[in-house]
Amino acid sequence: MNLAVEVAGLRFKNPLIAASGTFGYGVEYEGILDLSRLGGIVSKGLYMEPRDGCPTPRIVETPAGLLNAIGLQGVGVRAFAREVLPRLARHDTVVLVNVCGDTVEEYAEVARVLDDAPGVHGLEVNISCPNVKKGGMAFGGDPVMTHEVVGAVRRATRLPVIPKLSPNVADITVFARAAEDAGADALSCINTLLGLAVDVETRRPRLAFGTGGLSGPAIRPIAVRMAWQAARAVKIPVIGIGGVSCGADALEFLIAGCRAVQIGTANFVDPGLYDRLNGEIEEYLGRHGLADVNEVVGTLRYPGMEPGRTPA
Amino acid sequence: MPVNRHVPLVRREALGGAYHLLTFRHPEAAREARAGQFVMIKAGTSAEPPLRRPFSILAVDPPEDTFSLFVKAVGPGSRALCSMREGEPAQCLAPLGRAFTPPPPGTEALMVAGGYGIAPFRLFAGELPRAGGRGRVFYGGRTADDLPLRERFEPLGVPVVPATEDGSLGASGRVTVPLEAYLDRRPGPVRLYACGPEAMLHAVARLAEARGLPAELSLDPWMGCGIGTCLGCVVSAQRADEARPRYRCACTEGPVFDAAAVVWPGEAESLARRRALAGVGRLAAGERS
Repeated sequence: MNLAVEVAGLRFKNPLIAASGTFGYGVEYEGILDLSRLGGIVSKGLYMEPRDGCPTPRIVETPAGLLNAIGLQGVGVRAFAREVLPRLARHDTVVLVNVCGDTVEEYAEVARVLDDAPGVHGLEVNISCPNVKKGGMAFGGDPVMTHEVVGAVRRATRLPVIPKLSPNVADITVFARAAEDAGADALSCINTLLGLAVDVETRRPRLAFGTGGLSGPAIRPIAVRMAWQAARAVKIPVIGIGGVSCGADALEFLIAGCRAVQIGTANFVDPGLYDRLNGEIEEYLGRHGLADVNEVVGTLRYPGMEPGRTPA
Repeated sequence: MPVNRHVPLVRREALGGAYHLLTFRHPEAAREARAGQFVMIKAGTSAEPPLRRPFSILAVDPPEDTFSLFVKAVGPGSRALCSMREGEPAQCLAPLGRAFTPPPPGTEALMVAGGYGIAPFRLFAGELPRAGGRGRVFYGGRTADDLPLRERFEPLGVPVVPATEDGSLGASGRVTVPLEAYLDRRPGPVRLYACGPEAMLHAVARLAEARGLPAELSLDPWMGCGIGTCLGCVVSAQRADEARPRYRCACTEGPVFDAAAVVWPGEAESLARRRALAGVGRLAAGERS
């Protein structure tokens, strides 16, 4: 049974990748789970310098979901390269690093630092964080800026470039095409949905930042729809993200046209879920007489449409 | 090192009201957990509520491979745990976090608990004789019914001083009332340890500051993961040698913090930093800097 997939020229031993912001820098899980069982990991978003992030409270549980405004607290890309990458190199898994910036130039600068750092296999470009005042979603909500940021990272690195798109737009295909046109090798779809939870007693937002990003099973149908739309709009592969917590959830994204899937909020619910999900995918493939997970990619029988495999 | 496993509920003991004592089989936590450490746990595998919940470890039984939690059923996560049947599994990552620092020999540990904040102190009381220490518990709640563990410290040789806001048991008022009265009698060297609502923790921190006593607080912010990856549970803290406060994960750098290092809402810096800048230098024994 083959679970290996190829995205952006990178071989993942299975289609399950830990999503940025839900898996720290990966090394926090050493000793709790075997990182080499994962297809890949995406680091927490990194800027040039360390960041404090948002005041607290930063997270609030919502129906089937999690609303967060962490604000990209982090150690900065140089400390990550110096202290974390050598530890990650001990594990046989694909390491993608989530790249952030307040300016276009900062994205390129972070990408250049990582281009020289051993142990990085690809860059995910964060143009979709809803919890920062500059960069993030401000870039990912404007197709011209999307093109500019992705182009700047593209020129700064030889590594595969994978923009992570925001769902907080009317038509994600515009942004998918802008990113592809700027030289992206693949797309991550989607980041969190902008949300607001209100404490009715105090009449204040329940998060200190105000609004937050919604994740978890609550957003899965929206995520599958947007990943499907993006996958049909571009030739580069799409990595699906949003509310995956079992094998069938991951298969929804694959059938909708994604070549791999990221696991986010479910890491908090059960850090040991990777083996279970891969087992459930294998069981599904066996039951459907398939020997290769790639055979399900893009096989959605959508009314009035031909199933279309998406290219690797 | 924390271990993630499915843990069967071995025993459930109803303690009256919404309070329960739940015992789970988890060999590593049973062997390694120290007082102040916690577990992230969720009943079954249902989608709702999504997240595991943090609970201080109340007790361990290494021969039986079990740990126990003191749980008040107040929300969907704790209610689901308290309605588990024996033999049913929970998902659990344990043991987690930084434990209380045992008092130096000859120093009395004054444990200040508000409501279910009593949870970490039973294990702590059990550890004290090994550390050559002794202790006393100040246990506060709204009414006597909120102090269901008050009988469970005497077998450990640790006296319990109750306080209730309605005066139904022990001192009338906040738990700091009997604590202040005890300190006014000038006991020997003491260290304060507190776990409970934030207002109580802040009151204990102020009291420790005013009297120049070392204190450790177990903080309880909302947690997502328990191992420092979601960055949801951060606490603003500042050691004496740090120029500015830093957000620290309560799950990995806590939940137990030096009270003097905590930067309280509305304050610009910690007591530890203010003291350092004022040239007070090191104070009472046990203060980490």
